[in-house]
Amino acid sequence: MAAMGRIVAFCCNYVTSVPAEALQEAGLVPEGMEIRRLPCTGKLEIDQIIGAFADGAEAVFVAGCKIDKCHNASGSHRAAKRVKYAKKILEELSISPDLLEMIFVERGEAGPVVEMAQVMQERLEARDASKETAT
Amino acid sequence: MISGSNLERVLKSGQFAVTGELGPPKSGDPEVVREKARILKGHVDAVNITDCQTAIVRMSSLTAGLIALSEGVEPVMQMTCRDRNRIGMQADILGASALGIKNLLCLTGDHQKFGNHPQAKGVFDMDSIQLLQMVKGMRDGRRFQCGEEIKSHEPRLFLGCAANPFADPFEFRAKRLAKKVEAGADFVQTQIIYNVEKFAKFMEMVRDLGIHEKCYILAGVTPPKSLGMARYMKNFVPGLDVTDDVIKRLKDANDQREEGINIVVDIINQVKEIPGVAGVHVMAIEWEQAVPEIVKRAGLAPRPEYEGVEPVLVTSGAIESAVAQAREEAAQELKRQIDEAKAEAEASRGLIAKEKERTASEISQLRKQVEEAKSMVSQKEAEIQRLTKELEKAKQEIMSAPQGQAPAAGGASQTAVVVEEPLTSREERVLSSLNLGLQALRKVLGLSDEAFEALRRFLEAEFILHLGGVPAGAKVAAPAPAVEEKAAAIEPASEPEEAPAPPSEEKGRNKEVVNLVAKGNVLLHKQDFSGALEVFEQALSIDPDDEQAKEGAEKARAGMAEPAAEAAPAPAEGLLPPCPEELTQEEWARKWVIRYVAKGNVALQKGDPSAAREFFEKAFQLDPNDAKAKAGLDRCEGAPAAAPAPEAAPAEEPAPAPEKAEPESGPEAAAPKPEEPKAEAPEKKEEPKPKAKPAPKPAAAPAPSPGELSIGSLAKDETKLQERAAGISEELYVEKATGAIREVVLGDGEKAITIGGSTALPFYWFEGEMGNPPRIAFDVLDTEPEDVPDSLAKYYSDVMGDPVKWAQKCVSEYGAEAICLSMVSTDPNGMNRAASEAAQTAKAVADAIDVPLILWGCGNADKDTETLREVTSLITDKKVCIAPLTDANYRNLGATAMAFQLPVVASTPIDVNLAKQLNILLENLGLTLDHILMDPSIGAVGYGLEYTYSVMERIRLAALTQQDDKLMVPFICNIGREVWKAKETKLPSDAMLGDQERRGVLIEAITASSLLMAGGELLIMRHPKAVELTKALIESLT
Amino acid sequence: MIIAERKPMPEILGMLQGARKVLILGCRGCVAICSAGGDKEVGVISAALRLGFKKAGQEVEIHEETFVRQCDPEYLEPLKDKGKEYDAVLSTACGVGVNFIADRCPGVKVFPALDTSFYGANLSSGEWKEMCAGCGACVLHLTGGLCPVARCAKSLSNGPCGGSVGGRCEIDPDVQCVWHMIYEKLQEQDRVAQMEEIMPVRDWRSAGHGGPRRRVREDLLP
Repeated sequence: MAAMGRIVAFCCNYVTSVPAEALQEAGLVPEGMEIRRLPCTGKLEIDQIIGAFADGAEAVFVAGCKIDKCHNASGSHRAAKRVKYAKKILEELSISPDLLEMIFVERGEAGPVVEMAQVMQERLEARDASKETAT
Repeated sequence: MISGSNLERVLKSGQFAVTGELGPPKSGDPEVVREKARILKGHVDAVNITDCQTAIVRMSSLTAGLIALSEGVEPVMQMTCRDRNRIGMQADILGASALGIKNLLCLTGDHQKFGNHPQAKGVFDMDSIQLLQMVKGMRDGRRFQCGEEIKSHEPRLFLGCAANPFADPFEFRAKRLAKKVEAGADFVQTQIIYNVEKFAKFMEMVRDLGIHEKCYILAGVTPPKSLGMARYMKNFVPGLDVTDDVIKRLKDANDQREEGINIVVDIINQVKEIPGVAGVHVMAIEWEQAVPEIVKRAGLAPRPEYEGVEPVLVTSGAIESAVAQAREEAAQELKRQIDEAKAEAEASRGLIAKEKERTASEISQLRKQVEEAKSMVSQKEAEIQRLTKELEKAKQEIMSAPQGQAPAAGGASQTAVVVEEPLTSREERVLSSLNLGLQALRKVLGLSDEAFEALRRFLEAEFILHLGGVPAGAKVAAPAPAVEEKAAAIEPASEPEEAPAPPSEEKGRNKEVVNLVAKGNVLLHKQDFSGALEVFEQALSIDPDDEQAKEGAEKARAGMAEPAAEAAPAPAEGLLPPCPEELTQEEWARKWVIRYVAKGNVALQKGDPSAAREFFEKAFQLDPNDAKAKAGLDRCEGAPAAAPAPEAAPAEEPAPAPEKAEPESGPEAAAPKPEEPKAEAPEKKEEPKPKAKPAPKPAAAPAPSPGELSIGSLAKDETKLQERAAGISEELYVEKATGAIREVVLGDGEKAITIGGSTALPFYWFEGEMGNPPRIAFDVLDTEPEDVPDSLAKYYSDVMGDPVKWAQKCVSEYGAEAICLSMVSTDPNGMNRAASEAAQTAKAVADAIDVPLILWGCGNADKDTETLREVTSLITDKKVCIAPLTDANYRNLGATAMAFQLPVVASTPIDVNLAKQLNILLENLGLTLDHILMDPSIGAVGYGLEYTYSVMERIRLAALTQQDDKLMVPFICNIGREVWKAKETKLPSDAMLGDQERRGVLIEAITASSLLMAGGELLIMRHPKAVELTKALIESLT
Repeated sequence: MIIAERKPMPEILGMLQGARKVLILGCRGCVAICSAGGDKEVGVISAALRLGFKKAGQEVEIHEETFVRQCDPEYLEPLKDKGKEYDAVLSTACGVGVNFIADRCPGVKVFPALDTSFYGANLSSGEWKEMCAGCGACVLHLTGGLCPVARCAKSLSNGPCGGSVGGRCEIDPDVQCVWHMIYEKLQEQDRVAQMEEIMPVRDWRSAGHGGPRRRVREDLLP
């Protein structure tokens, strides 16, 4: 599996119509962030989330439809439960569950994705800083 | 009756029963149970003992029940199914029954989840109903649960169960109780009742099923201690129905406890009226004190008298009284034994008295015999006088008679030599020939009667004197001088001018032979066979026919024919104990010479020259060539005049033989008799006291103020081991040594000291002699030492850096008996002072002091060789001791020591074999062992002392008990050096380690005293107080 | 059905310490149904292991495979050789599967990924409940089909105990009192009298207290 970006965003096809490249070009998201487009977040499996971390991602977030407005009725709801379980696995592995989030986004909106990307970037920076002070 | 329990009796008698509850402690403290039991005693008919209620580990109900029983309270033992399977439960049921428990309440038990071990595996092999069935089966069917028969002593238990009228399904509750009764319950105690109404309904169902007729129903009640407790029970205890009314009453109450009691009394009064209720079960959890009050206020007091309570365990009171009784009995037994022993002692005292009497009578008899002998002598004297008178008379008669008739036969017979005592035939023959000779002589010389008489008297006296003429019947030596006196007294009676004429060949013969024979006999008696033979031969050359001379010569030859080995020690008989098999006579004698010399030296040391002389004389007798014995004798002569004169006199006074044996024989008894060990020990201890301590010090304990250490002398317990051993035979603990440690002399002149000489382990006075007492040398460093703690430095601050002054101070101020000059400055790894320079210093020290000097090198073999050689070439007039000789330099230094006849210290790493090896090497070199001191390499306390001790002890045991000749050498222990380099001597004073000086002194003194016990004979030490302490110890032990 | 649950990842990582090549072996039997050890769970465990090893700085080769069942010998046949190639075979089967691999595949180092919990039913998606204790002496005919051995906290034979209130067990209000349920069931069937009979003390030998149990059906033996 190809190495992943520092931040991986699993995005519902209906959420981000703007390609990642465009966001990056606009300087809206941190460099090296990767957006993976999914037909529906309901298709996202736990092993994919954990696998993203295993393949090099340091933070992952999932952007799905608004919970009651899912294109596929309950896709983002399922995704949210799987994210919760995946967080548990991260905890078991002593990885901060804060580095995995689920957001619910209005169709076609890029704002929350950009925002969450920045939040994740900040969390990573904070983590690295605390790591440094610790060592 | 099922079990005959008190509860059963009360219930069967139809009285309203009251039971209580007792929760065992979460500890092994029986007092908790006892206390609770005492509170409940007399107020309830029986007490439930809970079985780890709410699954919290507590003292088992069986045990606590027994403790309650021992307090006179009848237990109802609770048993749950949670913690034991059927095997464990049946076992405990049998045990409970065996120990007097008569009521058993069968429960399933609270789930372990509620307790303090929620992780535990709940057993629940069966439930409470099956448990009831099982116990009933054991009791009535006499069968274990498996069906096997209980052959005897089936458990007789009054069986109870619990019932919760408030649990669900409510309508099934009475039926479930019916199941329990069917399974075996004889009585039931209900869950805590607050909702009396609901309980009444429950009872209605119970009555409908007729259960109340098959079992006794006790209503459970609990006084709510507080509103909080009531609320907790209402909300959190499943199956407990606390009514709002109860909560309200408590809430409104001023005194919740009081109200709690009121509530419970009200409930009791209500349930009492419900048909089928046979009693109440009052559960005052951790509030047992409330029970008496509740019972009283509910009108249930007093409780019927207890019956059927037989405690198997005894109460603490009973235990105490039993103990007291046992103690009393023991005391009486002891008293009886003491009385018996006393009587025995009395009896033996009587025996002793009788024995004394007998001895006294024997002595008086002996005295009488002496008297008799004396009177015999005086009789004889009288006889002699009578004879003289007769002679006088005869002479006068002769004078008056014609000359020619003088030598008449009658006269001859009258004037013959007369000895009153019975004579041997030989003596008679000699006497008769003597008489014949005299007669002939008289005839030839024409002697006058007086002259003849005088001659005859003289011969008679001579005969008696020299021919063993002591009358055979007299046992006492005393008459001898009397006879001698007599003879002397008689002699002047003879006329000197009329003395016997010059002996012609014929005349002189008899007399000379007689004299020679007498002399020969005396020599024979002395066992000087060759001398005797010579004399007898001389006599025979004069008179070859002399029978006595012949006989004497024969005896002398026979005596000489005895093996020479035996002949040699013969004169020393009495001096030498029987020789052990493994030694030759000479070796044995040699050892004893050493021993006697050692003893002599000790005696001399103690200021008892007379005793010393005796020892030296003995040594001298054993070996007249022994230089030490000779020297000792010389020293006895030169000993301070104060002591010997009065003491020597009684020792030399010849005490009459029979009187010597008599203990009460006046002043002689006080005279020292060193050969008697009993008398010796105490005297030894008494005498040196005034001498050894020039300035008597207070015998007080060391002063408590730190820094000021004063050392008192130690108290002496002079109880002899024999006494302390309480009659145990000496041979059981006395192990006499067969070896003796050699003596080594250090220094010269008056201040010379002798080390060693012991024939027993250190201070084992009961086994032998210690020889010379242990000595202490002061350690003086040849350069100003670094890193010396103040506690030590302050004693030498004025002299440190100047070894001459330092040494002088040790001698003059601290009374050093010897000095060890540690030439640390020569160490090549340190100052590396030139050997010649160091030797100059050593010489200066040697010149400045008169006590023995030990020169101790830096420990570098090559450098020490150089330094010590230099030193010995400089110091020529003094016998210094050089140290240390190691396996690396013993050849060079050993040769040097031999050349100057210096004592040396043989130093080896702590090991028995290495020590022995070096001694052998030195001996092979030609150095005699009496010039060697062994340095076993010692460690201070905390730094290997125990190892040192054990090796020294082994060396000493090998020397004393295994005849390891090469190890019969005294020890020197360089203690100061080791002690004062230990960091503990340098750490400052603090609360934990205490005062620095006291600490250092004690470390040194304890090291020293330990090594004394291991056999250390010469100790090198630094701190004057430590030396003082150690000396006090030595003094008290010698 | 046998109900199992994944062990926490640190425990799994701990038992695989030092392994360089690991096979995660799923089972499509009970554990797949109860979502503990089927293909999907193998994938999740695999990803989590990769992440865990990576975090620990360990290079571990992880392979995944899932058998139809691990409790029948024929399915284990391929593992006998293949299993030896691995430093560890992490079985996501129940304890039976792990035991069976250990018994049948010498040289294969097998480790359990799951804790085997109980015999239960799937109440709804994601929820399972114990229904049977496998005690080997069924009394369900006496208790209205409800098992007091598996479902009563104290395995009472003559319940309900005094802790039964409102149909709930005293140990946990979320737990139903099975004896209350039995009472109601029997009442419904007009069989309450059955509960008035004392149920005799049980013989626990059939429950495994007499040693490991075995069943043989002669006619089916090869």
